[in-house]
Amino acid sequence: MPITLSKLNIDEVLRYMGCPPDKADPATRALAEDCAAQVLRAVQPRWSYRVFELTPEEGGVRLSCGLLLPGRDIKAHLQDCRRAVLFCATLSAGADALIRRAESGDMAKALALDCAAAAAVEEVCDQIEEELQGMFPGCAFPFRFSPGYGDLPLSLQNDLLDLLDAPRRVGLTASASHILLPRKSVTAILGVADGPIEKTIRSCLGCPAHDGCQYRKSGGHCGIS
Amino acid sequence: MEFRELLKIPGPVILDGGTGTMLQAKGLTLGEAPELAALDHPDWMEDIHRAYAEAGAQILYANTFGANREKLRRTGKTVAEVVAPSVAAAKKAAGGRALVALDIGPIGQLLEPTGILKFEEAVDIFKEVVRAGAEAGADLAVIETMTDLQEARAALLAVKECSDLPVMITMTYEERGRTFLGCDPASVALTLEGMGADAIGVNCSLGPREMPPLVEKLIRWTTLPIAVKPNAGLPDPGGAGYDITAEEFAQSMAQLTDLGVKLYGGCCGTTPEYIARMAKALEGRTIRELPRNVPAAVCSGTCTIPVDRVRVIGERINPTGKKLMKEALRRGDVDYMLNQALAQTGAGADILDVNVGLPEIDEADMMVKVVKALQGVTDAPLQLDSTDPKVLEGALRVYCGKAIVNSVNGDEEVLDAILPLVKKYGAAVVGLTLDKNGIPKTVQARMEIAKRILDKALFYGIRKEDVYIDCLTLTVSAEPEGAAQTLEALRRVKAELGLKTVLGVSNISFGLPARALVNQNFLTLAMSAGLDLPILNPNVDSMMAAVRSYHLLMNIDRDARDFIAAYGDAQVSTTITAGKAAPAAAPAGERDLAQVVEAGLKGEAGPAARKLLETVPPMTLVDDILIPALDKVGADFEAGRVFLPQLIQSAGAAQAAFEVIREQLSGQPGQESGKGPIVLATVKGDIHDIGKNIVKVLLENYGYTVIDLGKDVEPAAVAQAVRTHGAPLVGLSALMTTTLKSMADTIALLRAEELPCKVVVGGAVLTPEYAGQIGADFYAKDAKESVDVARKVIG
Repeated sequence: MPITLSKLNIDEVLRYMGCPPDKADPATRALAEDCAAQVLRAVQPRWSYRVFELTPEEGGVRLSCGLLLPGRDIKAHLQDCRRAVLFCATLSAGADALIRRAESGDMAKALALDCAAAAAVEEVCDQIEEELQGMFPGCAFPFRFSPGYGDLPLSLQNDLLDLLDAPRRVGLTASASHILLPRKSVTAILGVADGPIEKTIRSCLGCPAHDGCQYRKSGGHCGIS
Repeated sequence: MEFRELLKIPGPVILDGGTGTMLQAKGLTLGEAPELAALDHPDWMEDIHRAYAEAGAQILYANTFGANREKLRRTGKTVAEVVAPSVAAAKKAAGGRALVALDIGPIGQLLEPTGILKFEEAVDIFKEVVRAGAEAGADLAVIETMTDLQEARAALLAVKECSDLPVMITMTYEERGRTFLGCDPASVALTLEGMGADAIGVNCSLGPREMPPLVEKLIRWTTLPIAVKPNAGLPDPGGAGYDITAEEFAQSMAQLTDLGVKLYGGCCGTTPEYIARMAKALEGRTIRELPRNVPAAVCSGTCTIPVDRVRVIGERINPTGKKLMKEALRRGDVDYMLNQALAQTGAGADILDVNVGLPEIDEADMMVKVVKALQGVTDAPLQLDSTDPKVLEGALRVYCGKAIVNSVNGDEEVLDAILPLVKKYGAAVVGLTLDKNGIPKTVQARMEIAKRILDKALFYGIRKEDVYIDCLTLTVSAEPEGAAQTLEALRRVKAELGLKTVLGVSNISFGLPARALVNQNFLTLAMSAGLDLPILNPNVDSMMAAVRSYHLLMNIDRDARDFIAAYGDAQVSTTITAGKAAPAAAPAGERDLAQVVEAGLKGEAGPAARKLLETVPPMTLVDDILIPALDKVGADFEAGRVFLPQLIQSAGAAQAAFEVIREQLSGQPGQESGKGPIVLATVKGDIHDIGKNIVKVLLENYGYTVIDLGKDVEPAAVAQAVRTHGAPLVGLSALMTTTLKSMADTIALLRAEELPCKVVVGGAVLTPEYAGQIGADFYAKDAKESVDVARKVIG
């Protein structure tokens, strides 16, 4: 199931760039569009997944392979789920190289490329999620949850990548400080509930702009759910 | 029998199959460290190795694939503790029937520039494995499942530098014919054979049916034996096994003898049954002997340039006679050189010459820095230009690919100092036809020197195709007969020695009017005389036009495709285009500079500034026009009237204006340095540097000199830079909660060393409170605020 990206939501790219879409001047919008097109040409989305049974525990949720997902937040998040899909996705090294190239000479372009790549990762994850949801007919799914959300530690990245054989299968690794490399990558846990669940929204918690968000810094919200 | 002898015997060599698959079948659980199998379950490992030996494997891979200190960190075991019993288990099972290979897999972290692991650290990690393996009695080393040529190089250097083991290297490719990191078989083959591998090939990746195109590409670029060790077909995406049977595997593998493959084995999903059937299917088959004429070529990790036509070497990364480049080198401004690189490749350069020699800087250090940075932004192969062996070795070590060393000459001492380095790192080399006595007067004497250089290169084991001769361009105004002699020498080197030729073209016209005209015509003459590698300024349209015309006229550019692509709708001028890749500027002076900056029109800013400078002194232009314009944009940004992209675009426009001003200022004594300097760094462990780079652009626009240390910067390096440059202000950025600690450590070190500097911090996860806690003097919520801080501290 190869993932192909054909277009990006330019308004979303603009939001990540710190520019409200309705206030973007034509030049800025053109920059976002041009950079989105370049990102689409440069990326090679790859992904890998695995399904696990879940057992809640005192300190978190344990996967059937033995790994504990520690913390209150993931435990609460997966409370209605007996199973979960662990997946990872990466745009691959081409996206990083594209941004790096722009950074030496044109920071506005670098910013736009960086944000377009962030939007591309989201789009890839949305497609993966759709694909995965299709494997569990009749089930309900809380939003995908990643290390770094709430109290789920980033230090979990290496274990998650190992479980997915990610370095070998998709070329995705984590640095000693738990940064995913290539940079435009995600690991996530998608809970699978057999019955209906209370709908929660991901909001700022899982947004790729997260704490760098200009709206959030000024106490606002961008309007994306 | 030794590995190298085994390779010489006709017929296939059988390798073993998968280990992970077998361990899981034995009961290894998901999450259990497979690296420790020889310690935790010695009988399992012996069984597995024995089964492969009985299946016919002539080489058994010890279970040391992940036995490096990074991967073992979580197990609490040392490398030696794991490698020794793993090799011992394989040796015991082999019982003299098979050779035992020390298996070296990837470290599990990406190297620079995609990752942050430093090249020398990778070499060091691998050396620890190699020492343990050699001590444990491995017969050879196998480096496998690599996706980054740079990491494969690190492992190969480690094997070469601390053992005598023969070494085989196999990389993992995707169906599109490249590795995850974009490395292609040609570049891999050229580089690894150059550096002394004994066999190369493909492992893991795909199934045996997907091997032929990869093998065909590899074999064109190497004379080494080829190894193939694929998976049992393609994997199930959810992690449940592979898709072909042992018999299908065996039959597909046996077909590969027709492609000249020498070593056969299996990777993930294969078992002793696969290997036994494969060995049987290979019985009696002869390996087809294919001609191995590897052409002259150079490469980066991702791009091979065969010297099969005129290939242009861009000359612009060289401080000789370039004021701005000299200043950039003194400031350590690598971005300047990266822009030069991108402009040249954009104009059509195939290869880039890199010369950073300046008496007042540490050339060796700068060379490594620039080569690393260049590799992050361009695929073009590099020509490393220095006469100092120390500088060359540093650059060759970190250069990923097959570089050109520029240069040696006929002086024995020079040859003996530099040619061994060329050999060790698998480079090509430029030989200048001069020696201690200078440039010979006669063509014959130049030929003799060229011959001497070739002989010495062959003596050191460098192949003939990798020796390029430079017959030297003499300034025609001073040496009227020089050009004719150079051309004659070039013709003879080509015809009599059969070597590729290099020539710096631009020197020919010194002291003459209409230099571009002279250069272009000399270039055309030289190409007809057989010049392969002109070193020139590709930003001069007429020079590239001469090369493209030559290719067209000689029918090298089939169907005039390149020519039409370049000139289908263009006019060719003989003037130098802008050094920057910026679009052609609109007529200057139509808008005033302040408006241009406010609107963020990068292309117009330079010309507008140039026009103003005719009447306004540079510093007045900065203080009365640029800074107020930036202030206005900054105030609008704070008020929410403009947003981050516009702020950066304005900064970019101002920067273009500053470059023009800087050109004017340089040369005026005492005017070179700006305010500050300010040291900027993204802290140790963090690589999210886009915010830091935005801050840099803004600060520079306000006239501050920025010493940019980059990302993943050690605390000690920050302290060192503050001390060296006497910086009154340091800016630190971090994006991850996990790297805030490095920020605190850096500030603590600055304080402990009592450096009299203020510290401003910024980054997504920081808050003003946390900034205070870790001892920062200021917190800046965005790039604009960091300028406010700089004004407060420095003025």
